[in-house]
Amino acid sequence: MTAPSTPVVAAPSGAATRRASSFLATRPRVRLGLLLAAPLTWLVLVYVVALAALLVTALWSVDSFTGEIDRSLTLDNLREITTESLYRTVTLRTLGVALLVTVIDVVVALPIAFYMAKVASPRARRLLVVAVLTPLWASYLVKAFAWRSMLSEGGLVDWVLNPFGASTPGYGLTAVVLTQAYIWLPYVILPIYAGMERVPDSLLEAAGDLGASSGRTVRTVVMPLVLPAVLAGSIFSFSLTLGDYISVNIVGGANQMLGNLVYTNVGAANNLPLAAAIALVPIVIMLGYLAAVRRTGALDNL
Amino acid sequence: MSQPGPTPAIRLVGLEKHFGDVRAVDGVDLEIADGEFFSMLGPSGSGKTTVLRLVAGFEQPTSGSVVLGGTDVTGTAPFERDVNTVFQDYALFPHMSVLENVAYGLRVRGVGKRDRTARAREALATVRLEHVADRRPAQLSGGQRQRIALARAIVVRPKVLLLDEPLGALDLKLREQMQVELKGLQRELGITFVFVTHDQEEALTLSDRIAVFHEGRIVQLGTPQEIYESPQDEYVASFVGTSNLFAPEESRAVLGRDGRFALRPEKISLSDGDVPPGALSARGVVAETIYLGTGRRVVVDLETGPRLVVLEPSTVPTAVERGDKVVVAWRPDDLVALS
Repeated sequence: MTAPSTPVVAAPSGAATRRASSFLATRPRVRLGLLLAAPLTWLVLVYVVALAALLVTALWSVDSFTGEIDRSLTLDNLREITTESLYRTVTLRTLGVALLVTVIDVVVALPIAFYMAKVASPRARRLLVVAVLTPLWASYLVKAFAWRSMLSEGGLVDWVLNPFGASTPGYGLTAVVLTQAYIWLPYVILPIYAGMERVPDSLLEAAGDLGASSGRTVRTVVMPLVLPAVLAGSIFSFSLTLGDYISVNIVGGANQMLGNLVYTNVGAANNLPLAAAIALVPIVIMLGYLAAVRRTGALDNL
Repeated sequence: MSQPGPTPAIRLVGLEKHFGDVRAVDGVDLEIADGEFFSMLGPSGSGKTTVLRLVAGFEQPTSGSVVLGGTDVTGTAPFERDVNTVFQDYALFPHMSVLENVAYGLRVRGVGKRDRTARAREALATVRLEHVADRRPAQLSGGQRQRIALARAIVVRPKVLLLDEPLGALDLKLREQMQVELKGLQRELGITFVFVTHDQEEALTLSDRIAVFHEGRIVQLGTPQEIYESPQDEYVASFVGTSNLFAPEESRAVLGRDGRFALRPEKISLSDGDVPPGALSARGVVAETIYLGTGRRVVVDLETGPRLVVLEPSTVPTAVERGDKVVVAWRPDDLVALS
């Protein structure tokens, strides 16, 4: 990159500004520093420091008589969450819910994204993008409570299903999966839609032209090309579900997920170090997921 | 020059395609003979690409029919038609190697792996690119991608190959080289080529016959020579090559005849007074001379009003200059009456 030379006629706002401009124009490193100083400070503070604090807190403990935090380092908390069966059960349950939500979202998002990117007229496409984004304007809590009311006995779901001899699943893990799949769906549709749009129409035509049926074209051309975008979308639904504790409180009945355990330990149980240790579980799972996904190039699609 | 035979490779009957209020193709009737190198020539928006897409099956006609080798294929999908397309952007699959790209058509037809690899390599050899078989399309140059797209289309041995401005993205040198290769390939394979282009020179050099498109219709159909030497109207005369056009009033003033006429710049000679016997002539003043390398383009303002462009070959030593008084002359036969 070459810095544009300062034209002599420019800089109407005085000699000082002009000197500063010409100083910067020839020093790309200084410019870069000024550009990134503020956001980098913010990132380091809120992100890296907070994460480090979490890790350190997980190594502390709580005095069971006084409730005071003991700042000597110990692996007790980590040992507890890896050996106690409660944590294993909840971790597996959370993982299962997150996977199920992700699978449902991807299955629903794929045809919608394909329709938006490749079939719909430009006008219909704009409307659909707005329709997909609109739910994001509503509060998370409102949406979760909407599902609570829909899934209640005699609620909307019952009203629709009863004529077919079925009834609402009630509050429980099924309700959690439904609610989470609904709430995170836009985050899955959008990257897949963007990925589909990047596949030129001529590739689909070329496949058909060479003798591939529509199904074959989707399998051999569309899917391999949008797989990174699908994985990018799945990162959202998977990680957001992994850390959720609100909707499970609202529609989950008595079930607990990792987020609930963190919440109870921060609040009622007053055990911040244990909460920090539990919070590390989804982080570790997510790092594993990201590492697996990174191999496919999906991170270039975020 | 091949003429349409008894069973043409392609027959288009009353073909129309409307997009909303736009008549992209507005009544095209056409027969293309087996083994012909046929070009569809026209500016962008003239409907030539839409006709190609109708033949390939990417679009369905609003009315009319597409007949391939005697079978009406109107309403069938692209994968059911025995034609293949070379796309303007090549449309190579980025996630497959060159060999997998070329073998794709065989793979979806259920040809076994060993057989299709052999045939794909053979097709790559035809375009002299065996050595890039294991690369990805992104690692190839534009000219190489173009040839891979060709190999991918011919490997399934279609009866008709459709080429949508295939050389449009290449630089001049490469384009000229590919023109020679295309022509050779067509002769070697003996299949029908339907070539869409907006480049009149390309159409003239490559084709057996040319259809000139204008606003969704074919305005003239003929051999390159017919199109160039006897353009039917003003549109063809000015789109294919350059022409000096005489509007009715100019014809009366300069030629003393009624009607519209066209005169090619290279058919006009310049002199300072001597007119060859039997030639028509007019006096004028040189307004501009442009050096072209292969010759000179001389713009002459005639005393009777209109401005003529004259193309002087560089073998002619006389160098006229701006402001010189000259006599322009041409043979009466070279005047083309336009409709």
